[in-house]
Amino acid sequence: MRVKLQRDIEKLKTRVLALSTSVEERFRLAVKSIECRDAELAREVIEGDIEIDHAEVDLEEECLKILALHQPVADHLRYIIAILKMNNDLERIGDLAVNIAERAERVAGQAEMRVPFDYFTMCQKTGDMLKKSLDSLVNMDLHLAYEVCAQDDDVDFMKNVMQAQFAEEMRKDQVHVEAMINLFLVSRHLERIADHATNIAEDVIYMITGEIHRHRGADYA
Amino acid sequence: MRKRRKLLWQLYPSYLIIIVVSLTAMAMYASRTLRVEGYERVVESLKVQADIVEQLVAGRLSPERAAEIDALLKQLGRKISTRITVAMPSGQPVGDSQEDPARMDNHAVRFEVKEALAGKTGIATRYSVTLNANVVYVAVPVMIDGRLAGIVRTGMSVSAMRSTLLTIYEEIFAGGLVIVLLAAIIGFYASRKISRPITELKRGAIRFADGDLHYRLDVPNSEELAALAEAMNAMASQLHARITTITQQRNELEAVLSGMVEAVLVIDAHENIRSVNEAAEKLFQIDSSKVKGRKVQEAIRNTDLRRFVTETLLREEPLEGDIVILGDPEKFLQAHSAILRDADGNTVSALVVLNDVTRLKALENIRRDFVANVSHELKTPITSIKGFLETLREGALKDPEHAERFLDIIIKHTDRLTAIVDDLLSLSRIERDAEKGEIALQEGRIAEVVDAVGRVCRKRAQLKNINLECDADDTIVAQINVTLLEQAIVNLVDNAVKYSEPGQTVLVRAEKTPEEIVIKVVDEGCGIPRDHLERIFERFYRVDKARSRKVGGTGLGLAIVKHIVSAHGGRITVESSLGRGSTFSIFLPIAE
Repeated sequence: MRVKLQRDIEKLKTRVLALSTSVEERFRLAVKSIECRDAELAREVIEGDIEIDHAEVDLEEECLKILALHQPVADHLRYIIAILKMNNDLERIGDLAVNIAERAERVAGQAEMRVPFDYFTMCQKTGDMLKKSLDSLVNMDLHLAYEVCAQDDDVDFMKNVMQAQFAEEMRKDQVHVEAMINLFLVSRHLERIADHATNIAEDVIYMITGEIHRHRGADYA
Repeated sequence: MRKRRKLLWQLYPSYLIIIVVSLTAMAMYASRTLRVEGYERVVESLKVQADIVEQLVAGRLSPERAAEIDALLKQLGRKISTRITVAMPSGQPVGDSQEDPARMDNHAVRFEVKEALAGKTGIATRYSVTLNANVVYVAVPVMIDGRLAGIVRTGMSVSAMRSTLLTIYEEIFAGGLVIVLLAAIIGFYASRKISRPITELKRGAIRFADGDLHYRLDVPNSEELAALAEAMNAMASQLHARITTITQQRNELEAVLSGMVEAVLVIDAHENIRSVNEAAEKLFQIDSSKVKGRKVQEAIRNTDLRRFVTETLLREEPLEGDIVILGDPEKFLQAHSAILRDADGNTVSALVVLNDVTRLKALENIRRDFVANVSHELKTPITSIKGFLETLREGALKDPEHAERFLDIIIKHTDRLTAIVDDLLSLSRIERDAEKGEIALQEGRIAEVVDAVGRVCRKRAQLKNINLECDADDTIVAQINVTLLEQAIVNLVDNAVKYSEPGQTVLVRAEKTPEEIVIKVVDEGCGIPRDHLERIFERFYRVDKARSRKVGGTGLGLAIVKHIVSAHGGRITVESSLGRGSTFSIFLPIAE
């Protein structure tokens, strides 16, 4: 029985990895579509989301099946609970990637404009956090997971700075307000993705240590 | 497991047992023979003595002369240790060498006496109370004229005989002990002589097993062991030869694998990575020692690759596919897979070879775009010229006001064509000269070039109300072709001016770092989107086709700059962020 459980958990792990890989790739494609104003690529990302949704449902069913059949305890239970939560976050990241792609689709149709600041750095930072959180999952790397949690503040800060810049820019440049709003929304989506990446990292911490790392001290004020 | 004993301790005890058993058997046989022989001799001598006494007493045998007989016997008894008794046929002793016959019992019931009375020689061994010892008795009848006249009995204590025997036993035992000791020592050495070469062989075999195949066994003297040792030596040298061959082949294979430009992954039937080559390590930024034995998707997070591997293992046949690695920069790979099977034909692992075709793909794009762009660039002015010429011929010629405007347009487009052709010519000239190494490089001061650029471009900049700043260290010297380098920087500054808004600044700055000389052209213009950055040095490449044609230019300016810089042995890079401006940097090697 234990052997079967072990095998099922191995299978579960493979699925999580597959899901996280495709979510990461969707995110990258979405970011690329907004950078290159590529409507075609954006469409591809939007249409591909159904795949992630299916994978999410499958993964959840798999988790529930293991819970019902094997009634796991201790670290196995922790592992499955963490994966259930992670599954949610991954699916949300997939959705946010779709949102970004939708913005890209809009922006692509509009005249090119002077972007008042460089949100590319923010894309990069968010992508980096997502990559690290998944790396920490793959390697069960506690150190990396803590690093992701620490990085979240940077992205939050960047978003706040951008918000102020957008407001100022919109007052000055009335022509491009719509494009601005689209880009502003992208920054919000990026920030949300960073939050979900942090959640994943926290779940990894929970998996390894059994401690719930959310809402800790001044870091998260 | 049964405890194993050394060969020595298997041989030696059996030797010892053989020696001890055979010696004991011999000793026992010898002592038995001795004892029987001794007894018979004693009996014989007793019989002889009895016969002699019989002759002595035959004439005097009668109860009346008992005292005479007794005295004779006492006299004899003093000289020999034998006890002699003479008795009447009734069994009543009449004389004894040691006892008083009157006090002795009637002897008729004694076995030997009974035998003698029956006319035979009686022999008996029995305990004698008189002598307080085991005694052998021999009794003979005394016959006178065929009539039994009495008996003579001789007796001797056995203890005398036993003491003799004991002495002999002791000697046999001592001798045996010496022999056993000697045999034990000899046996020990003999066993060791047999077992020692085997121990030597064992030691050699262990060294072979440990990989010391250069070691050679000493050949022992015995034929069988010598053959064994020789066979083992031969085995070692053959093993060594084979291992050398295998190692060499493996090294060659490894060298081939690591020398390959293509990334190679070996993946087992459970999708675990068995090995990766150096190209794969570099391509996926992984560490071969860390990813070995892990799942493909753990080590390399890529959906395309995962699908490709799963499909290969599922279909058990070679596949071809395309894999895209998202990231910065994006990479396009062409994947080939093959199935490795074991001797039974089961799938053991899959071999995946990945060919990086990013560059090929880029080149293909360049070629395709180049043809399209060049025809477009040439076609546009020609179409305009042709159109206006036809309009003129069809009557516009007679309308001087329009005709002049049309001619102006025709001249403008002709100028444009000329400019394109000029640029193409200078590009091909630079390219050809650079290839042949005919571009003359002379030591020149960068500051002079920068100043010249300033003079040429200042007017154009001022027309657009753009501030042009030149800043060059006077001491920087490099191997340059002044005309070409000036053209390159002019091109860059021209572009910067074109894409800047009025009121912005264009900065030309030359600096020297320890490694190289850097000439930077910095503007604050609209910037270049990131995905175009790599391609703007291509011929006729346009970031925004409509706009750049409006601001003029042939589409060859940056291509010329790139060629000029590479003719100087330098390189050019560009950094840009949208809305913030761009920086072109020319790096030139420092003159030796």
